[in-house]
Amino acid sequence: MPFAAAVTAFVLLGLLVLGDAMAQTPPILRYGQAASAAKTMFSIPIVVAQREGLFEREGLDFRVVIPIPGGADRMIDALHDDTVDITHVATTFLVRAALAGSDAVAIAAEFNNPIYSLIAKPDITRIVDLKGKVVGMADPGTSISISMRKLFVQHGLRESDVRFKHVEGTSTRLNCMRRSDCIAAPLGQPHDLLALSEGYRLLALSTDVVPEFVYTVTAVRRSWAAAHQDTLVRYVRALSAAFGVIRDPRKRGVVIKAITDTTGVSAAIAERTLALYFEPERKVLPQKGEIDLKGFAQVIAFMGEAGHLKGPLPAPERFVELQYLKRAGVMP
Amino acid sequence: MTKRLRNFLCALCVGLGAATAMLPAAWAGGDGFDPDDHSEDEGPAHFGFVKDERGKPVRDAKVSASFKNTFTLVTRTNATGAFRVRGFKKDINPNDIVITCSKEGYKQERTIRRTPPKSAKKPLRSVETECRLRRL
Repeated sequence: MPFAAAVTAFVLLGLLVLGDAMAQTPPILRYGQAASAAKTMFSIPIVVAQREGLFEREGLDFRVVIPIPGGADRMIDALHDDTVDITHVATTFLVRAALAGSDAVAIAAEFNNPIYSLIAKPDITRIVDLKGKVVGMADPGTSISISMRKLFVQHGLRESDVRFKHVEGTSTRLNCMRRSDCIAAPLGQPHDLLALSEGYRLLALSTDVVPEFVYTVTAVRRSWAAAHQDTLVRYVRALSAAFGVIRDPRKRGVVIKAITDTTGVSAAIAERTLALYFEPERKVLPQKGEIDLKGFAQVIAFMGEAGHLKGPLPAPERFVELQYLKRAGVMP
Repeated sequence: MTKRLRNFLCALCVGLGAATAMLPAAWAGGDGFDPDDHSEDEGPAHFGFVKDERGKPVRDAKVSASFKNTFTLVTRTNATGAFRVRGFKKDINPNDIVITCSKEGYKQERTIRRTPPKSAKKPLRSVETECRLRRL
């Protein structure tokens, strides 16, 4: 009898120890990132959060997953085929997927008001000079393409006046120009500044023609989120802290290093990129990951204007779940 | 058709299939990068095949190439069970990249890393890994 009691006690003790160990195992969070974003500024908030140990601080085992092939339009698919748990995605793709039946929603903003520079070969001095030329362009449904088409119209060019070549990703579009396969292309940071340093010419900025909007977000399936609420609150808290680090002048060296290591540009160009974002404040990054519903509605309006949405435009609330931002103390 | 001829044609088909699989455009959807996106600081590509317990290729299997659990590239095999991923920096030791494979209805059995012969030219341009699945 004493032996049986001892065995029982031993088993119970083992279960307790095992349970405690399991309770302390940090939850794995697989974050999807498009290959085209991996070496650009769009990955910097996550890179900074990783380098500063912000996910660890929140008790998360955070892993970046890049689906290959991984066009930005496939990131919601990666949620659905269980390749990732949450994903970085352009708002237009999220809206498109949700309207097609996905239960994915935005839980935090990652980038707002992107500054896309329309960069051209040195001999092109005006937008109108692009008539009949090949322009490297992102997916037609993206806000990049929408803003560029607005720029062309503003400068007297019709869409049919320009030959668009679909090239995804800022670095790839820069290479398209370097190869002379494209005469011009919209480039984000820091590749636009790199191109200027190589002698290319700036024709205009996307922000000249578009109002403020929510550009990219972290998205998750509602069904997954319902079962992992605490994990998502921790993620939002870590992301929010990363935006704080990026804006902190005392952390400028850390951020510059993250940019140079990630994108391959020089420290000088990394500094100019940050100056472009923050001096003066151009609201390119959210303060803490908050989602501006008005900015989200603007994206939907863009999609309507471009003919990608038919009928009455849906309300932004349909595509957003704010409870994680609220529970993380980011939004009231 | 004689048995010998049939065997030859069969071997030819397998050979052509394998050769086709080695072409970048033949990878299941490619690898998502344009050729010019191959940067100077990029390390070797990781490629290989996913096979079942009988050695038959498994198509549309998910293949993950992970670096120390922090950074993972995920792709799928093509019709010949082939996969290829690249994008890891060259300062990453290829031995630190762990290849795993999965597919519904299967369980991963093992992976076999095929190291190039010592006489092979350096720098290392690609690393081959075979991933074996067992039907459940």
